[in-house]
Amino acid sequence: MKVQIEALTRVEGEGSLEVFLRDGKPESLRLSIYEPPRFIEGILKGKPYQVIPDITARICGICPIAYQMSGAQAIEDAFCVKIPEDIEEIRRLMYFGEWVQSHALHVFFLHLPDFFNVPSIIELSKIDKGLVLAGMEIKRAGSLIIQALGGRTSHPVSVVPGGFSALPESLSELKETLEKALEKALWTVEKLKALTFPDFELKEVLFVSLIEEDYPILKGDIYLEGVRVSPREFKSVFVEFEVPYSTAKHAMTKDGRVYLVGPIARFNNAFEKLSPLAIETAHKLSLEPMVKNPHKGIFVRIVEIVHALERSIRIVKDYKKPQKSKVEVVPKSSTGYGVSEAPRGILWHSYSFDSEGRILSADIIPPTSQNQRAIELSLWELIKDRENLKEDWLRDHAEPVIRSFDPCISCATHFLKVSLKDAEKFTLA
Amino acid sequence: MRVGVFKFSSCDGCQLAFFELEEELLRLSERLEIQYFLEASSKNTWDYFDLAFVEGSISTPEEEERIRRIRESSRSLVAIGACAVSGGIQSARNFENFSEVYFSVYSGRYEVNPLSKPLSDFVKVDLEIRGCPINKEALREVLIALLQGKSPQLPSYPVCLECKRKGNPCVVVAKGLICLGPITVAGCGALCPTFERGCYGCYGPVEKPNLQALLEGYSRLRVSQELLKELLRISFNGYNKSIREWL
Repeated sequence: MKVQIEALTRVEGEGSLEVFLRDGKPESLRLSIYEPPRFIEGILKGKPYQVIPDITARICGICPIAYQMSGAQAIEDAFCVKIPEDIEEIRRLMYFGEWVQSHALHVFFLHLPDFFNVPSIIELSKIDKGLVLAGMEIKRAGSLIIQALGGRTSHPVSVVPGGFSALPESLSELKETLEKALEKALWTVEKLKALTFPDFELKEVLFVSLIEEDYPILKGDIYLEGVRVSPREFKSVFVEFEVPYSTAKHAMTKDGRVYLVGPIARFNNAFEKLSPLAIETAHKLSLEPMVKNPHKGIFVRIVEIVHALERSIRIVKDYKKPQKSKVEVVPKSSTGYGVSEAPRGILWHSYSFDSEGRILSADIIPPTSQNQRAIELSLWELIKDRENLKEDWLRDHAEPVIRSFDPCISCATHFLKVSLKDAEKFTLA
Repeated sequence: MRVGVFKFSSCDGCQLAFFELEEELLRLSERLEIQYFLEASSKNTWDYFDLAFVEGSISTPEEEERIRRIRESSRSLVAIGACAVSGGIQSARNFENFSEVYFSVYSGRYEVNPLSKPLSDFVKVDLEIRGCPINKEALREVLIALLQGKSPQLPSYPVCLECKRKGNPCVVVAKGLICLGPITVAGCGALCPTFERGCYGCYGPVEKPNLQALLEGYSRLRVSQELLKELLRISFNGYNKSIREWL
């Protein structure tokens, strides 16, 4: 016997939720991801290294910059290229733009309708147009940062190994836009702080994020429970495996623990590094580490929007076009690793190259496949004691749980070569 | 007008153009009934559509069946973006040994076609919006024109014209870069040359692109036929009907 939501809605990509019943009680569940694989890593094989930022961007239309940054940094790691501070700062700015537009898209277009009990942002605008327009203005500010630096919001064209193909003379026209968007974000905090959440906590979950001097975004070691792991060591700590019912892989720590990446993990691990206004916003929203209720992800995203806008304004004010927009990259036979904080969490890339810089192998681990386990556990907590489950109840209660994690299914849909034996060891009890 | 927005093998980037319309989307929604759009709404109905926008390429048996059902339910079908128009980046595998590509990523069990194909290989497509991703100006033009019962005006000329209009120095002449601008449809605003790179072809080929002439033009840059083919295969539009035979 099975109850299911055939097509999840207001999430990025396509998936379904199936709950299997025995004697009317839940026995197991599957968050299935059924998008066809697109074989990006296979297509990259044999191609020159320069194509990595443009091709991997196409894994995801919402977070292409994450792919471009992790990819470019993996190339630079392989070829021992040091990126100057000023170019890295501009990369951070572009990345903040992506955080703002991706988080605003999720908060206002995908997630918020749940709290107002409406099916879409269009219906939400009939209830509170001001709120919707504010969300759109915030999202636009993120888009405008990316457009200024890369020409277009989705799949921008300027990110190349070594830096940028070209950079604008000035960014002064962005300053006012960002300041207005920040004002709007603070205004929405006042509007939304009264939201209430289902009482629910993630149990036994590790929070994993990068560690930088500032709140993590661009690069760094991976941090979990007081331990630092270099990007190179990623696979010795985390293990990915296929599951029979889904085209996205799952991940756990080597010692079999479930972990979470993304806004909540960053917030819990690096709260004190947030910008001043972001910390103030967290207090207003009664948020403090450790946030364990995934439903509050919407608040954490708003905090990160405020942080990203405040930091962006600072970078824009100080912007001077660098003398050179990129440094020279000379290929050699080697392997490189790149990791960054995509809006949804750690995005890890690894490539091996021949002496000409052609790609021998490519390996990409996106945040959503790392989070899938935590999403399923949360769903299990929600349903395990319920009898007479009906599809309507799942739509009303389980789907919002999935949404609160902001899964990016297009990202999660791709594979590694692992043996099926490994996969069988990791079936949900 | 009853509208549906559908997704196949893709990155979701073209659907986002609807969200990018922002306030205009709210205004347009008063005149358009968006009946089916999974990413935007939790309330979806599928009976018939005046207008179906389809993102993504066809790469599984299920997708073949679903695109035919959409075609049957729709008066007009619009292919949005390079995946729907040409097969997308995933169609780069169409020029390689599929089982090698497949097993270098994946250990099996998934029913997927060896080739990733454009919608037009399966159903009649009434209109194409080009780009990887499409841009919201083109989407707005199509929505408004169709609401008014007019033909949408989308560029069919090459990127070079946009470059000239912008006053960009030609990156081929000035920098010796390989640029697919001469054979690629305009609409992006000549983004890549503006950022001092060669166009990589994401809006797909113009009608009857003269590849032989392009190759001769590039002979002084020592671009071999093989290199040009490699670039076109990963141009996100390699499997477009007007160039696939040449590749």
